[in-house]
Amino acid sequence: MVNRAKIKELMNESACSHSKDKKPGEGCDKPKPGLAAGGCAFDGAQISLFPYADAVHLVHGPQTCLGASWETRETLSSYKGRDHTVMGFTTGITTNDVIFGGDKRLEDSIKYIVQHYKPEAIFVYSTCVTALVGDDIDMTCKLAAQKNNIPVVPVHAPGFVGGKNLGSRLAGEAVLEHLIGTKEPEFTTPYDINLIGDYNVTGDMWQYLPIFERIGIRVLSSLSGDGRVGSIRTAHRAKLNVIVCAKSLITLCRKMNEKYAIPWISVSFYGKRDTTFAIREIVKALGDEKLMAKAEEVIAELEEGLEKKLLPYKEMFAGKKAVLNTGGNKAWSIASGLQDLGVEVVATSIRKSTADDIEKAREYLGENGVLMKTPASQQAQVIDERGADILLAGGRSLYTAIKKKISFIDVNQEKKVSYGGYDGLLNLAEDLKYAFLNPVFKNVSAKAPWEEM
Amino acid sequence: MESIKLSKHEHKPLQVNPIKHSQPMGAALAFMGIRNSLPLMHASQGCASYTKVFYTRHFNEPIAMYNTSVSDITAVLDGGDYSILMSIENITKKNKTMKPELIGLHTTGLTETKGDDVRSVGMHIEIPYCYVNTPDFEGGMESGWALTAKALIEQHTKVSTEIKANKILVLPHVSMQPIEVEKIKEFCESFGFETYALPDLSTSLDGYLSEGQGKLGTGAIGIDDIVKLADCSHVISLGVSMKMAAKALLKKNENIGHLHFDNVMGLKNCDNFVSSLMKIRQIEPKPLIKRWRGRLQDAMLDSHFLIGSSHFVITGEPDMCCGMCELLQSVGGTVDAVVATTYSPVLEGLDVENVFVGDLEDAQKYFQNTDLVISNFHAERLLHLQDKDTALVLRGFPNYEELGNQLKNDQLYEGSTYFLFEVANKLREQKHHG
Repeated sequence: MVNRAKIKELMNESACSHSKDKKPGEGCDKPKPGLAAGGCAFDGAQISLFPYADAVHLVHGPQTCLGASWETRETLSSYKGRDHTVMGFTTGITTNDVIFGGDKRLEDSIKYIVQHYKPEAIFVYSTCVTALVGDDIDMTCKLAAQKNNIPVVPVHAPGFVGGKNLGSRLAGEAVLEHLIGTKEPEFTTPYDINLIGDYNVTGDMWQYLPIFERIGIRVLSSLSGDGRVGSIRTAHRAKLNVIVCAKSLITLCRKMNEKYAIPWISVSFYGKRDTTFAIREIVKALGDEKLMAKAEEVIAELEEGLEKKLLPYKEMFAGKKAVLNTGGNKAWSIASGLQDLGVEVVATSIRKSTADDIEKAREYLGENGVLMKTPASQQAQVIDERGADILLAGGRSLYTAIKKKISFIDVNQEKKVSYGGYDGLLNLAEDLKYAFLNPVFKNVSAKAPWEEM
Repeated sequence: MESIKLSKHEHKPLQVNPIKHSQPMGAALAFMGIRNSLPLMHASQGCASYTKVFYTRHFNEPIAMYNTSVSDITAVLDGGDYSILMSIENITKKNKTMKPELIGLHTTGLTETKGDDVRSVGMHIEIPYCYVNTPDFEGGMESGWALTAKALIEQHTKVSTEIKANKILVLPHVSMQPIEVEKIKEFCESFGFETYALPDLSTSLDGYLSEGQGKLGTGAIGIDDIVKLADCSHVISLGVSMKMAAKALLKKNENIGHLHFDNVMGLKNCDNFVSSLMKIRQIEPKPLIKRWRGRLQDAMLDSHFLIGSSHFVITGEPDMCCGMCELLQSVGGTVDAVVATTYSPVLEGLDVENVFVGDLEDAQKYFQNTDLVISNFHAERLLHLQDKDTALVLRGFPNYEELGNQLKNDQLYEGSTYFLFEVANKLREQKHHG
């Protein structure tokens, strides 16, 4: 089960830049009543583990937890068997289970899943209610694992312990405790890495995995984009952990470093510069001269090809200015992608950013770039002052763009194509092109006949 | 295939590919249908976040929703007072221009398990306050919505003995989209009624471009209207789930007449509705209503050949399933199965071989041998997995794939006409090209 000591430890992650400015013991912020937006710990845990397509993910809780969340994420999988990532499994507990406990229902549900779906593993997620009434999920899982001879992993991230980020960390703990190191890989190479924190949303990973293959980097396991439970069990044999755009799984990497002496690096695959930088960092960390040379060769070839394809876009985007209003690492990663396309990013939001993110945003935007602390109230003014041509933000900002008669892209909307890697930049370029060309933002803001009188 | 019986109890320990949505989600939607209300979910932040994303994607609109963010510590130490009062203070402090006229508080599984006294908290709140107990381990979206309408009447409508002739209250069930509520209100107004709907989504989430959306509910009924509802001459419940809200209003004034309709889809049900309105007002319907009745008659004949030779599976909230099922049967359609989200007495009356409470794992067994499925967007992927080509009409929550869900109208003569054509056209596509 989950306990305060563990939560405290995770909230005070020493390797996290969030913790730098805080007094010892202070850790991450607790949600403020009324003001907490965004998902809970359970949400974070589910996001982190759900992409394992060969496992069934069983949510032990009442209706909202899974009923509103299944089949909502575009985490693609190449798994040839029955893809469980697009399915939803929940015990959907009722009043009886709250009063008498839900262990029996959980046990029966696991039995049903083993019988009907024969998964490679089962993840069982506790939720607020089942944690509060004190179901003995650990024991039920342990017995079910012994009986069925598959991993049945309890994930203790009930929503009320905190936000998404903490939930991801708790998911990492579950994987570390129950899966990593429980199986040996069929073979190893000196170039084996684990990918941590890329969930392959819209196939982001598939944009750069072919490049790895050409260079000779092997992905031993993934947590958890297009991942398999079978391979994450062998993750302890990798030479390097590569965290992709995810702060939350730093704890897992630090612990794997302590336990298995696997070093870790943190990279991003958004835009040309970041992709190139990421590849260089990985081969450098693997420390093989031949690999580094091969990487340079591949990078040179791919960058050249990309530049050619980008030329017409760069001409089209010359002189265009963008204001970016989105959270976390997107504040600088999308900025970097836009700059690679020749768009000037005049402002970005740092409302939810960490110290690291702010530093990076400053680096990318330069001295004249505006870092908006309260983008909702600032962005309209910035658009006027800098003469921006496009606003990239969440749906709520659409009205600002229409009022200012400039183009708009909803960056928070579930996207259907990937912006990752070199080729993803072409997808971003296409979306930008259509946004710039589209007259809808001007047309829709026309005055009504009764307003012109 | 072993058939599943209609029962209040589940027939298996878990749900696989669930269609059921929770009570708190229904309550949240209901509060969005009240003007300047602040829907506040008493829950951990995830419950509200999931609900917000769910409705944002279904309606493609900013969603007004807040939560008390109960933590593991407040779950044990707080009786609800702290997190609820702090929430209201924090929200109103942060948005100084925001003037909520109602705090719509509803509970969840978490806060019901810990047993908060959400009623007494109201004594410390200056803004009008309505509380609803909606644990998500009971009922479903339909009952959460209905309980909220009932709570609003019980807690806010003033007792009266007066009756204002021609003032009516319509109580639409949860599956009715904003345009459907608007059409029904308009329909009643054309008979000369001063018409209110509770909840009233016709001006909320209806796909209307305006500034500053998503902070408060923008429904067409205000708390001041709700206070004065007891002088209605009639209350009209649409959907069995809404009967309890109608009964709550009757307790406020025994002179109010109660009209109930399980649904207003199809010729017969709509005729019943019209004749009731005619009886009260002693007038004929407007020419356009008569015209639409004729169009529906024509649509029934035009579509009967395709629909009459086809098999259907319907999944969703009971009140919605019931209307669609009866309409399709009225033109000869064979409904193989109705798979409902939760138990409702309305399901007992359906003349269908397989009626039960279940999930898409259950429904999928019937997909194989049917021509057309009416379900939410989750069915789309399941149908793609099949060898056989089966047509699909998307209805119910959620529909993340199609746009304009709030403007889909299936009610009354007009909506039923369009619904029959949509179904028939989908069948034609599938039968000719499939």
